[in-house]
Amino acid sequence: MIYQPPSGARDLLPLDVAQKRWIEDRLEQVFHRWGYHRIITSTVEHLDTLMAGGAIDQSAVIELQDTQGQRLGLRPELTASIARAAVTRLAAVTYPQRLYYNANVFQRTAQGSHGGQQEYYQAGVELLGASGVIANAEILQLLSDCLTSLGLGSWRLILGDAGLTHSLLSVFPDALRDKVRRAIAHLDRVALETLSMSEELKQRALFLMDLRGRPSDVLQQVSSLDLSSSQRDSVNDLKTLMELLQETASASTHSAGAIPALILDLSLIRTFDYYTGLVFELVSDTDQGSRVLGQGGRYDNLLGLYHPQGQTYPGIGFILNIEELHQALLPGGQLPDQTPASDWLVAPMTDQAAPAAFAYAQKIRESANLVRVEISLDDAHNQEQIRDIARLRKINRIAWIHADGLPEIEALN
Amino acid sequence: MITVALPKGALLTESIQLFKANGLDFSAFLDKSNRQLQISDPTHRAKALLVRAQDVPVYVEYGQAQLGIVGYDVLREKRPNVAHLADLAFGGCRMSVAVKGSSPYRSALDLPPHSRVASKFVNCAREYFQSIDLPVEIVPLYGSVELGPITGMSEAIVDLVSTGRTLKENNLIELEVLYHSTARLIAHPLSYRLNPDGLNTLIEKLRQQTMVL
Repeated sequence: MIYQPPSGARDLLPLDVAQKRWIEDRLEQVFHRWGYHRIITSTVEHLDTLMAGGAIDQSAVIELQDTQGQRLGLRPELTASIARAAVTRLAAVTYPQRLYYNANVFQRTAQGSHGGQQEYYQAGVELLGASGVIANAEILQLLSDCLTSLGLGSWRLILGDAGLTHSLLSVFPDALRDKVRRAIAHLDRVALETLSMSEELKQRALFLMDLRGRPSDVLQQVSSLDLSSSQRDSVNDLKTLMELLQETASASTHSAGAIPALILDLSLIRTFDYYTGLVFELVSDTDQGSRVLGQGGRYDNLLGLYHPQGQTYPGIGFILNIEELHQALLPGGQLPDQTPASDWLVAPMTDQAAPAAFAYAQKIRESANLVRVEISLDDAHNQEQIRDIARLRKINRIAWIHADGLPEIEALN
Repeated sequence: MITVALPKGALLTESIQLFKANGLDFSAFLDKSNRQLQISDPTHRAKALLVRAQDVPVYVEYGQAQLGIVGYDVLREKRPNVAHLADLAFGGCRMSVAVKGSSPYRSALDLPPHSRVASKFVNCAREYFQSIDLPVEIVPLYGSVELGPITGMSEAIVDLVSTGRTLKENNLIELEVLYHSTARLIAHPLSYRLNPDGLNTLIEKLRQQTMVL
């Protein structure tokens, strides 16, 4: 019998872990610098909790059996869990709350694909209890700061406004709206062209699908429509956000950390989600092609779904896919390419020297900086063999412990 | 550089013509002696991949090609996550149910429940028979589906019909048309949003060209 992990699961070996930690440590440092606190929520949730926001497809959730007839699932993302925990358990704290997480999530792979991954790691933040342009700007600057700390070469941000686009779709009659929304979300121009509707509506639908490009151009285009006052507010908020980001970039003393040219894309919507305002996708843009590394958005109605009295708080956040970041960072060479070697090998020269060897090793370990010390487990106390092992494991120094307990230090090169 | 996935087979010549009319020459793929699967346009502005029609949306979905040309039949069967940008109007054909001419069946509903239907398009076939509420067993095949009814393995087939000649020569008759199909221009959604290397200008030119035809 050969025991293998189930299809879609994977083991992370020490080097994988070292690289993953390299990424996560840097992200955590940035989160801490921006005043965010870590939250750890349960891996298992009631299916109802996961689905309440309307953005989770039940077929993507890995369900668990339970004994009391309740349907449970492994979390496919953390925003629902954090929303639940925040409104019920953190009721007494002051807002805004700044929370971050670094956790595994589970997503059943789509039917038809073979052996795709099912367990993923995500790091992300949620800024709860704050609406408005400055909160939006904080999240985008924080995201940019994260990528700078990782030294990620080329990336782009695609920005949309789910609330504004949703509202712009209200000109379509009910029967048509979902089809138009679906076609725009999937960039299905052929479907829009063949849907039966008046020429005027068709032109409007195609116009919405093409609302993408340089922010100032797109904002000008959308302003040419006959907007309601709330739509105009959304457009003005977007304009203010763009100006704010630009002025922040020119005010900062060093160029690093500036957000690369944004793409404003008002067709960036999904068929089902809980986003109510700003939405964005973080995309790596290399010669190997472009991939989504993370995404986020504003969800001003989600927390109310979990509050016992339906009281809601605005929220905005993003997630970063650790595996995708890992893939994007690999060619750059900044990830560690081996696990750290030990600094010392402490080798007792006889069996009687073992207690002295343990004592000596412990003394070196207690240094203020991290020192990695291994004990030689070679029973034969063959010095040549021990040297070979040390060289193989890239250990530079051996402390030979004599029978009388005295150490003799040998440097290897 | 923009990469285009082109389908081997019936749509290839017209696909290459379409790009040629817009200044990108991939006609090396039409040379019988050519064995290269990836070529560059002589002006080095774009690359093309020569792949099986079913694989075109795969390369486009994963972003190895930003653009592709493929029949609607493949898109409908595989439902890939790609942007559908234009109906290119060539390569017209239809997805049909066919049976042996000597059989008593004259409509799909005449087929006995739980009969066998051979097809390369298992999802389309399943969806269709579900929509008429007729339980059937779908037998997946990879080619020469006509042999299904001829050998008696299946009562019917679901397959693409363009001229109908293959059906006629094998004594099969068409009962129902599931849908009509033409070649489509598809794109990697993320690349379409990012617009690298003037991608959208090229797409717009291809679309204009199609509307003139």
